[in-house]
Amino acid sequence: MKKANRIFTVLIFIFLYIPMAVLIVASFNTGKDITHFEGFTLSRYAELFKDRQLLKLLGNSLLISVLAAGISTVLGTLSAVGIHRLKPGMRKVVMSLTNIPMTNPDIVTGVSLSLLFVFVGSKLLGQKESLTFWTLLIAHITFGLPYVILNVMPKLQQMNPALQDAAMDLGCTPLQAFWKVTLHEIMPGVVAGGIMAFTMSLDDFVISYFVTGSDFVTLPVEIYTLTKKPIQPKIYAMFTLLFLLIFLLMVIMNVMQIRGEQNKSKRRATVDSKAVRVLKRVGAIAMVVVLLAGIAFLVIPRGSDTITLNVYNWGQYMARGEDGSEDIIALFEEKYPHIKVNYTTYDSNEIMYSKLSGGGVAIDVIFPSDYMIARMIQENMLLEIDYDNIPNYRYIDEDFKNTAYDPENKFSVPYTWGTVGIIYNSKYVDEADVTGWELMWNEKYKDKVLMFDNSRDAFGIAQFLLGLDINSTDKAELDRVAEKLKEQKPVLQQYVMDQIYSTMENEEAWIAAYYAGDCMTMMENNPDLKFYLPENQGFNLFIDAACIPTCAKEKEAAELFINFLCDPEISAANMDWVCYSTPISAAKEFLGEELVSDPVAYPDAEKLKNGVSFAYLPEDISRYMESLFMQVRNS
Amino acid sequence: MKKNKSLLLSTPYILWMLAFTLIPLGVVVYYAFTDSPTTGNFTFANMQALVDYLPVLGQSVWYSLISAFICLLIGYPVAYFIARQKPVTQKFLYMLVMLPMCMSFLLRTLAWVGLLQDTGIINTLLGKLGIGPLPLIRTSGAVILGMVYNYLPYMILPLYAIIVKIDNRLIEAAEDLGCTPVKVFTKVILPLSVPGILSGITMVFVPAVSTFYISQKLGGTNTAVLIGDVIERQFKQGNNPNLGAALSLVLMLLVFVCTGIMNRFGDGEEGGVVV
Repeated sequence: MKKANRIFTVLIFIFLYIPMAVLIVASFNTGKDITHFEGFTLSRYAELFKDRQLLKLLGNSLLISVLAAGISTVLGTLSAVGIHRLKPGMRKVVMSLTNIPMTNPDIVTGVSLSLLFVFVGSKLLGQKESLTFWTLLIAHITFGLPYVILNVMPKLQQMNPALQDAAMDLGCTPLQAFWKVTLHEIMPGVVAGGIMAFTMSLDDFVISYFVTGSDFVTLPVEIYTLTKKPIQPKIYAMFTLLFLLIFLLMVIMNVMQIRGEQNKSKRRATVDSKAVRVLKRVGAIAMVVVLLAGIAFLVIPRGSDTITLNVYNWGQYMARGEDGSEDIIALFEEKYPHIKVNYTTYDSNEIMYSKLSGGGVAIDVIFPSDYMIARMIQENMLLEIDYDNIPNYRYIDEDFKNTAYDPENKFSVPYTWGTVGIIYNSKYVDEADVTGWELMWNEKYKDKVLMFDNSRDAFGIAQFLLGLDINSTDKAELDRVAEKLKEQKPVLQQYVMDQIYSTMENEEAWIAAYYAGDCMTMMENNPDLKFYLPENQGFNLFIDAACIPTCAKEKEAAELFINFLCDPEISAANMDWVCYSTPISAAKEFLGEELVSDPVAYPDAEKLKNGVSFAYLPEDISRYMESLFMQVRNS
Repeated sequence: MKKNKSLLLSTPYILWMLAFTLIPLGVVVYYAFTDSPTTGNFTFANMQALVDYLPVLGQSVWYSLISAFICLLIGYPVAYFIARQKPVTQKFLYMLVMLPMCMSFLLRTLAWVGLLQDTGIINTLLGKLGIGPLPLIRTSGAVILGMVYNYLPYMILPLYAIIVKIDNRLIEAAEDLGCTPVKVFTKVILPLSVPGILSGITMVFVPAVSTFYISQKLGGTNTAVLIGDVIERQFKQGNNPNLGAALSLVLMLLVFVCTGIMNRFGDGEEGGVVV
């Protein structure tokens, strides 16, 4: 019986540790895919230490958790002493208040805090940016405090109240008595609470995810964005290092605790050995130094001549030095040293729109698609661009000016264009089945089909298939389209956006609809993938353009950035990795011949004739479409 | 004088908690009963829309109850085993249970995708044995596995904390009085570990019922949609914070009712929260 239990326990520990082992092994893999070990390498660690962005995010996480843990520990300990002395009735009330964040689901805490900050900041105080570093810090302190209180309270209850009286009888002031006697007695609770607040804050994703604005992002929140894209193996390297660090910290804590207990059992509880005393003092000093450094970092204004430019772009939509490409942002920062770019990404127009209309963020440059630009113009969410600051606008081809979404060329500077088609794996998909959009409804490929996870693109495909207008404003017609999408659900593997890369490349799925440029990237990584444009039924032809939203704080720097992107050489270097089509013909001479002549990126004019662009839909129709899509997804 | 001071010490805390836990919940209520953040007109529309989401809520509760139950079944023997070791071993094993909780749960869930997918590690290994790809991922089982995996430590730790406190003399006494090992377990050990069981179930149930990443990664289009995913989507994509707030409100009430029932069972056992 005992033996069986031992074996069972070992099995459960294996269960708990296998996924982490997979991640750790992946950090030494020469291949990018977690499922196939191709060879041993340490280069992922080198990549990690070269990645300034990731290290900064780690720094952000450490900063916020040290500050939050420090403040909650001090505030929590003092409050615990105060609460301990309250009348029992009052104490009960306060303790149940403490229990609210403990029992409330994280998602509700996150939602409620973000709504509060936006409500107070944007609505009552009229601030542009109400989700900042400070509000994130407040959130972290709020969920850290209860851990401190709940750890300190029991120690206070265990303490003999006579001890403090004795200290005061012996001439201590109340403050001295607290400092010398009470604090010493409750110290283990204070330390345990502080450490708990620290680890909870360091690893928090859910609450931060809702409370994070645009300027200060922590590591777990960024990891969420990163897990939506093909994940870079250096993330596994970071995981491995953090694992080792936390393992080491826990072992040290354990050893110290065991030592402490051994001392106690030898009745030397109050007299630490010299070494331990020195260690404790060093530890305390180190903590104070880190805390002070953190506070100093916040209080001392950083060089006021540097500007932070918040750029919010689609994932995988700008060359950032991956796979030997140029790093466009680094080139920009090199040219304009007074501007620091803070680069974050989104998955779909709808996510970007939700974030901006939710309020509380300050973002300077975005890259919406045509129909979204029209919607944002209509809803006064875009600033008029000063084209005098964008001399490179002259390079933009005339075909991309005076467009339907921005007829007077006031709000947008085209960034890329392209088509939406079907990407399929020729190893598994019968060419005879590749006849049109109905391929995505084909039961033969059940569970191997991926569909867009955004309302407009998903509806568009079904509308082409049904032969309907993709810009229809007829609600009954949209209902019909939604029915068609519901019909597709049993065949689908998943609704995805950028996860499509890994899923298609490792052949987990065989058929998907996506943007031509991204399909080309996937085809480079897996030669069995092919692209098909259903020209007879029609397809979406899109333009994505750079815009400046009304919440922008650095309009001039934003214009400088947009101008930089329009430089033909820069555009070429960028598109060489992004693989989307450039609206700047002058850039083509800097691009590889192979790319320029590729019919996927630059289909001939004959084919393009059947492309249809998304047009503006009135707000109530957009909302109706979004709610229909939610219903399809949730059904 | 003394009383004033103690009130003074706890006042900042009380104010903080009022401002950042109670008032935000008020704001959630405000959003739940208004039509849009810009206009802010009173409406019952969100509450009416909730009816559509009752099945989602039911599924979430069902999934997380199953997960909590499985966690209890497999967590109890482990907690019991740990509690019966030498103190030093206990500390070490306790640490091993706690360690996964400190690591990114997103990446750990992603590792399960790598393990379970059709072209994943398990199916590749099975393929070498000639067993064709099994449908492991995008099933209800995968979602429950993800929940059990992520929240098992939340079950083991409180169980351990209670079992370790059980006085060995009670067990010896039962044995002396002629109890078989099975009877010792059902009559002595199990009844004494009830507070740990209750707090473990609560601690697994609450995060599981509100989770929003696990089902996105491990579930498919035909497995259950969970309430956490729906809330996240309302805020992040659907651009409908008002409906999102209404859903959050319901989720919160559900959790408070459930924990309330649990506390009733446990006769208001205090300090059940260990982690």
